[in-house]
Amino acid sequence: MLIRRTEHPAGRGTLAALASQSDHGVDRRTFLRRAGLAAGSLAALEALPLASVRRAQAGPPPAPGAAVAVRKSICTHCAVGCTVTAEVANGVWIGQEPSWNSPINRGSHCAKGASVRELVSGERRLKYPLKLVNGQWTRITWDQAIGEIGDKLLAIREQSGPDSVYWLGSAKFTNEGAYMFRKFGAFWGTNNTDHQARICHSTTVTGVANTWGYGAMTNSFNDIRNSKTQIIMGGNPAEAHPVSLQHLLEGAELNNANVIVIDPRMTRTAAHATEYVRLRPGTDIPVLYGMMWHILQNGWEDKEFIAQRVYGFEDVRKEIEKWTPEEVERVSGVPGEQLKRVAQMFATQKPATLIWCMGQTQHTVGTANVRTSCIALLLTGNVGKPGTGANIFRGHDNVQGATDVGLDIVTLPFYYGLAEGAWKHWGRVWEVDYDYLQSRFDSKKIMETPGIPLTRWFDAVLLPKDHLEQKDNVRAMFVQGHASNSITRIPESLKGLRKLDLLVVADPHPTTWASLAVEAGRNDNTYLLPACTQFEASGSRVASNRSMQWGEQIVKPIFESKNDLEIMYLLATKLGFADKMFKNIHVENNNPLPEDVLREMNRGSWSTGYCGQSPERIKLHMANQKDFDLVTMRAEEGPAKGDYYGLPWPCWGSPEVRHPGTPLLYNTNLHVMAGGGTFRARFGVERNGVNLLAEGSYSLGSEIKDGYPEFTMAVLKKLGWDGDLTPQELAIIEKVAGGPDKIAAVSWSTDLSGGIQRVAMKHGCVPYGNAKARMNAFGLPDPIPTHREPIYTARVDLVAKYPTLPDAKQFRLPNIGFTVQKTAVDKGIAKEFPLILSSGRLVEYEGGGEETRSNKWLAELQQDMFIEINPADAMERGIKDGAWVWVTGAENSAKAKVKALVTERVGKGVAWMPFHFGGWFAGKDLRPKYPQGADPIVLGESANTITTYGYDPATGMQEPKVTLCQIRAA
Amino acid sequence: MARMKFLCDADRCIECNACVTACKNEHEVPWGINRRRVVTLSDGKPGERSVSMACMHCTDAPCQAVCPVNAFYTTADGVVLHSKDICIGCGYCFYACPFGAPQYPRVGNFGTRGKMDKCTFCAGGPEKDNTMAEYEKYGANRLAEGKLPLCAEMCSTKSLLAGDGEIIAQIYKERVLKRGYGSGAWGWKTAYRETITS
Amino acid sequence: MTASVVRLCIVVAMAALLALAPSPRPAAAQQPASVDPTANAVHEEQLLQQFKTIRGLGSIPDTKSYTLEQPAGRDWRYFHEVTLRWIGAVAILGMLAVLVVFYLSRGMVRIESRRSGRTIVRFNATERFMHWMTAACFVVLALSGLNITFGRPLLLPLMSPEAFTAWSEWAKYAHNYLSFPFTLGVILIFFMWVAGNIPNRVDVEWFRRGGGMIGHDHPPAYRFNGGQKAIYWIVVLGGAAIAVSGYVLIFPFYGTDIQTMQTAEMVHGVVAVLFIAAMLAHIYIGTIGMEGAFEAMGQGTVDLNWAKEHHSLWLEEERARTGLGRSQRQPNAAPGE
Repeated sequence: MLIRRTEHPAGRGTLAALASQSDHGVDRRTFLRRAGLAAGSLAALEALPLASVRRAQAGPPPAPGAAVAVRKSICTHCAVGCTVTAEVANGVWIGQEPSWNSPINRGSHCAKGASVRELVSGERRLKYPLKLVNGQWTRITWDQAIGEIGDKLLAIREQSGPDSVYWLGSAKFTNEGAYMFRKFGAFWGTNNTDHQARICHSTTVTGVANTWGYGAMTNSFNDIRNSKTQIIMGGNPAEAHPVSLQHLLEGAELNNANVIVIDPRMTRTAAHATEYVRLRPGTDIPVLYGMMWHILQNGWEDKEFIAQRVYGFEDVRKEIEKWTPEEVERVSGVPGEQLKRVAQMFATQKPATLIWCMGQTQHTVGTANVRTSCIALLLTGNVGKPGTGANIFRGHDNVQGATDVGLDIVTLPFYYGLAEGAWKHWGRVWEVDYDYLQSRFDSKKIMETPGIPLTRWFDAVLLPKDHLEQKDNVRAMFVQGHASNSITRIPESLKGLRKLDLLVVADPHPTTWASLAVEAGRNDNTYLLPACTQFEASGSRVASNRSMQWGEQIVKPIFESKNDLEIMYLLATKLGFADKMFKNIHVENNNPLPEDVLREMNRGSWSTGYCGQSPERIKLHMANQKDFDLVTMRAEEGPAKGDYYGLPWPCWGSPEVRHPGTPLLYNTNLHVMAGGGTFRARFGVERNGVNLLAEGSYSLGSEIKDGYPEFTMAVLKKLGWDGDLTPQELAIIEKVAGGPDKIAAVSWSTDLSGGIQRVAMKHGCVPYGNAKARMNAFGLPDPIPTHREPIYTARVDLVAKYPTLPDAKQFRLPNIGFTVQKTAVDKGIAKEFPLILSSGRLVEYEGGGEETRSNKWLAELQQDMFIEINPADAMERGIKDGAWVWVTGAENSAKAKVKALVTERVGKGVAWMPFHFGGWFAGKDLRPKYPQGADPIVLGESANTITTYGYDPATGMQEPKVTLCQIRAA
Repeated sequence: MARMKFLCDADRCIECNACVTACKNEHEVPWGINRRRVVTLSDGKPGERSVSMACMHCTDAPCQAVCPVNAFYTTADGVVLHSKDICIGCGYCFYACPFGAPQYPRVGNFGTRGKMDKCTFCAGGPEKDNTMAEYEKYGANRLAEGKLPLCAEMCSTKSLLAGDGEIIAQIYKERVLKRGYGSGAWGWKTAYRETITS
Repeated sequence: MTASVVRLCIVVAMAALLALAPSPRPAAAQQPASVDPTANAVHEEQLLQQFKTIRGLGSIPDTKSYTLEQPAGRDWRYFHEVTLRWIGAVAILGMLAVLVVFYLSRGMVRIESRRSGRTIVRFNATERFMHWMTAACFVVLALSGLNITFGRPLLLPLMSPEAFTAWSEWAKYAHNYLSFPFTLGVILIFFMWVAGNIPNRVDVEWFRRGGGMIGHDHPPAYRFNGGQKAIYWIVVLGGAAIAVSGYVLIFPFYGTDIQTMQTAEMVHGVVAVLFIAAMLAHIYIGTIGMEGAFEAMGQGTVDLNWAKEHHSLWLEEERARTGLGRSQRQPNAAPGE
C-alpha cells in the first residue's frame, strides 16, 4: 500500500492512478469535465458543479455481490419536505445521497436531514414493548401489551364513557396514519383526538381559514424566489426550516429583495436580513397595525384589490387608526420611522410576502395575530400572485397533512366539522351506518361537540368532574407520537400523570412521558410500545406548501417496532371494530395497505381537494422529480407534464380529471384547471346587507364574471349546467341525497361522484365559490383582531387598556386566563419575575427532541440546555457566560437548572430558551427513570417547566412564547 | 487536472450544520471527532456570519511539510490525504494547520493521541478505492465514484461549494457581482494564497 | 468566552456602531435603530488585519474548534521546517566542529604531574546514579527528539516508511515516558549540587584564565570550576525549560490554546538543540578531552594529582576536613543531603 504511495512523488497523481485500478473506477476526466459543464450551464448562481455521474454506492461499502437499491422517502423532521435518497444493501440502510431531482431541496439537507440514517440504526430506540411493574420497566410481548391495554381501555369506557380516553396522535404520522387515527377516534366514540398542530399552527389554521377559506401556506417555498420583499415575522427558518433558506436567500440575491426580520431575537435568520426589527414579545398586532397605519396614511393600500376581494375593511380601518406611531412604540418598542420604512417596502416594493411561524401562533392572541398578518396582506393586495402570500412555515414533516386529514378535536377529516351532515358524509365514505357511529358516542350532542385540546389534557384529568362538559374526567392517555415536554405547565402535567389510570405511549423512543411518569410516581398501568419511524413504513405526507409526496419503505421496522397503521389495526381488532374500520382497506399480516387508505381519503376529501391525489399520481411525481421546474414547480415534460409537484391541494375532482394541483391559492390569473382560484365562499353570500361575494374579480376563464356562491346541485340547476353531469354521476348524487327529490342540497363537497366539481371547472368556476376575504371575521372571539397583553406580562401598566378576554368555557373546559392575568397583576408577579421568557427552536433538534437527542450525530452538536440572557441582565445578576443558573417561573414554584448563554441576541429584559430538551426536572437528572438503553444521549431541563397558563380562546393554543421568569446564578 | 477546493460563502451559511452531520453520516465519524465544523463570528450581533470549516486542502500544505514521518501526500486533484499507517499521532499537523483540521481520537494520555483523522475531501486514503479497509480508516471515497464531498453536496443553502477551484471561484464571483456584497472567500488567502475579487 | 473572543466581539461591535453612526434615524432604548446585517457583515480580511487569529463561537465542547483560522500555523511551519533546522544544525554541527578542531590542536588535557596513584572520592554512588540516570534519559530523549526534527530528511530515505514509522512511534513513546525520570533527575541534580555551584569570585578568575584550557595554566577551583558550574546551570535551567515546555506538549490543550502550544514547541525545540550542543561539550571534556575526568563519574574517585591540578581549593578543603592522605571517607556532604 505504502509503496504505491511512495511510487508517486508527492503532489502528483496517486488518486487518478488508484481510480484506474479500482473496481469501481470511473473515468475521472469525464467526471470532471461533466462537473465543469454542469456548473457552466447552471448560470453559476444557482448551484454547485454537482457530480452528474452517479454510482449506487457510498457509506460503508456493501458486501461483495450485494445489490444496492435506491429508495426515496421524505425527511421526517420538518415540513419543508426534503426528499431523502437512501441506499440499501441486504436490508441495511448503508448511505444517504443528495436528492438532486427534488424541486424542493435539490440535494440539500439541514443537520437533521443529513443524519436521518442514524434513526434506523437506532441504538437508543425503544426495542420491544415495556410496561411498568412496581416502578420497573419490564419487557412484555406485543400480544400481552395489546391484550392488557385493550382490556383496561374497555373497562374505563364501561365506567366513564369513551371520552375518558384521550387519543393523542402525531404530525409524524403519514396522512394514512393520521387519517386512520382520527377514524379510530370516531369508531371508539370520541372527539378527543388531537396532534401537534394544536401547539404549532392551530391558530393559523383557524385564523387564516376564517379569513379566506383555507388555513394553509398560500404559496410555496419555491415561489418566494419571486418576492421583492420578504417579511419574516415570528419565525426563524434558518434554524427551523433551513432548506427553505435556499429559496429565500437565492431569491433575495436574484431580486435584490428586501428581507425584513421582525422578532424579539436577532435570530440566525435576521443575520441574513437587510433589516431587523426588534419588538417586545407578544406585540405583533400593534406592530402590524402600526405598519398599516403608515400604509393608510400614505395611501399605499391596494384600493382595487380591497374593493373587489375584501370584506370588512372599514371596520378594520377604525382599529388601525388607533395605532399611531407613538402608541405602537409605547407598546411594542418599535420606532415609527423604522416601521414606516418597513411598511413602505411591504406595500410598494411588490410582490411582498409575509412569512410566519410559531412566533405569531403560540400566543393567547395567536388567532388574532395571524389574522392581522392576513389583513396586512389583503390591505396591500399581496395575496394570490407569485411572490406574495401568507407563507406559513409548518413545523413537523406531516403537520399539514395530519391537520387536513382531521386528526383534530373540532372536525372530521378535511374540515367537514362535526355536525350531523359531516358524520353522514363520512359514514357514506366509510360505508358504515350513521346510527352505528352515533352508538359509539355517549350522546349525539357530545358527538357534535369539539373535544379537549391536547394543551389541556392534564386539566381534563385534574379538574373537578363538574367543571368538564363531558361525562367524566380523562382517565387514560393513549399517546402515539407526541412529546409531553412540548406542552406548557410541566409541573401541572406531573400531577396529571400521577392521577391517570392508564398511560400508553407508542413511539420510536420512550419520550418524556416515560421519564416524567416515573418521576411523578407511577408504578404500573404504564405501557411503552415501540413504533417505527416513517423510514420503516410507506405512505404519503404533505409538505408545508401543500405538496403531497410518497415515502417508500427504506428498511423493515427495526427490533420489534411496528408501523403506526399496524398498531392501530391490532388495537382496533382487540377493541372489536377493526372489521368495520378497515372495511375497504386491504390488510396483510396485520398491515393495512397505505395505498388503500389514501384511496379512501381520495373518495371523501372533496372539500379540500385531496380527491385528485391518487397514490399512482403521487408516485409518478416522485419517480419523475427531475421534470419539475424550480420556481413554478410545474412539470415541463415527462409523464406528469402540466402537473405541479406533489399536486398541491386543492387538487380538484377525481384523479381522472387530472387537475394539476394548486401551487398558489386564490390566484385569479390562472384558469381553475391550471391551478387558479378565488377566495372561498365559506361564510354565506351576504351579511347585514353587505355582499360577501367577490365583485368584478374571478379566476381566468370563468364563465361567471363575478362572485358566486359554492356549487350545489341547486346552483348547477339554476345555471343550467346540471345537464353536463353524466348519468353515473347523477346516480351517485341521488344516492348521496337519499333520493332524486333531495339532490338540491348535495354540494361540491359531499358529492361522492365528483361530478359537481367537474362541471363547475368545465365552466371555469372554482367549486367552492368566489367570495371576498374577510378582514372582519365575524364569529371569532375577536372579529377585528385586538391587541391583548399576555397573561403574564412585564408591562402591567398596559393591562388595564389591553386586557385579555374574559373567562369562558371553551372546548369542554373553563379558560380562566382573565382571572390569572388579574391575579398576576394584583400580586405584583412582574416584580418578582422581571424577565420576559420566550422559547424557540434549534437547528439540531426537533419538537420535544427525544428522537433527535438520541441521534449521536446531532446530539454531539448541542450537549447542554441553556438560556439566552442579555449581557446587561447577566451583569446585574452576576451571571457569567457558560455558568449554571436557576431559572424560576411564575407558577408552581417552577425552577430549572440550565447553562447561561450571555448574548446580545436577546434584548435587555428578555430571556430565551430552546424547547427541545427534556429528561431533567427541577434540577434533577431523570436518566435512571428511562428504560435501560433507551435514554437519549443528551438530557436537559424542559423550557416548559417554566411556562405558564394562557390559552387562545379560538383554538386552545398554549402560550410558550411569553411568560415571566427570574434567573439567578446557581 | 482539476484542483479541488472548498469555498464557504458566509453570506449564505446559516449554521445549519448539515455539512457536519452529512460528514458524520457518510464516514461514520465517531463522537468527538469533527472533520467539519461551523464557527459563528460575532455571534448574536448584527453582522453575524457563520463559516463552515474543514481541511482546506492547502496548496503547499503546512501539515504535509511539518509531518515528521511524511504521512501526507497530495493527490493530482490537489487533495491532501494522509496514511494512518504512517501517522504517529504527534500532533504537529494541528499546530501547523491554519484551520484546525486535524483531529485526534484522544486528547491527552501523555500525548499518545492516536492516529490523526481529518477531512479527506471524500477521497479516502492510500488503500484500494472503496474497500472496507479504506472505509474503516478514512471513510467513503466519493471522488473515486465520481461524486463530490457530501458536505457540500448537501449544503442547505448552497453556501459550501466543493469542486474544481476555478469553477467554484467563478460561481462565487458571479454571486458577489449579482448581489453586490460578499464577506470574502474565507481561508482562500491562507490556504491557496489567492483571493477572489469581483 | 476567551479574552480574544471578547476582544473580537468588542471590535466588531464598534465597527458596527461606527457604520451606523452617520445614520440620522432615532435610536430607541434597547432598539438598534436600523440594522442591516448584510451590510455590516464581518469580513475576513478586516478581521485578519486586526487579529492574528479569527475566533468565533461553536456549540461543541471542543473550544479549540472555535478558532476558525490561524494563519500563524504557516509561520510555525516555517520555524519548524527552516529556522529550527538551521539552529539545530549550526549548534550541533558547530559544536562538533569546534570540538574536533580543539581536539586536533590541543589534544587530550593530560594530568601534567602524572598520576600519583592515590585517589580521592569525588562523587559517591547516589550522585553517580543520579547523573547516569539523567544522562541516559537525556541521550534517548535527544536522539528521539532529533528524530522528530531531522529524521525525515536524514533517516527516512534510508529505511522503509513503515520501519521509520515504527521506529518513530517507539521513539515517541520513549521520549514521552523517559521525560519523567529525566525531569526527576534534573530536580535532584539541582538540590544535590546547588551549594557547590553558586558562582563566586574564584569563577571569575577561572574564566579570566580561560579555565586553563589554553597552555598549561591551572586556575584554582573548588569542587566545581566555572565550566562545570556553567554546565550545571545549563542542565538545571535548560532542563526546567525543556521540561515545562515538554509537559505542555504532552498534555495538549490542557488550559492552553494553539498559540501556547506553538510557542511551547518552539521553546522546546530551540532549547533542546542548544542543550544537546552544550552536552556534547560536556561529554567531550568528560571523556576524550581530559585525562582522569571520566573516572570522577565512572568510578567515583579521581587521582590526587588530577584533583590538585583542576580543583586545588576543593582538595585543600577535603584535606582540611579529613586529614592528609587518601581519604576513604565521604567527601563533603552534598548540600542536598
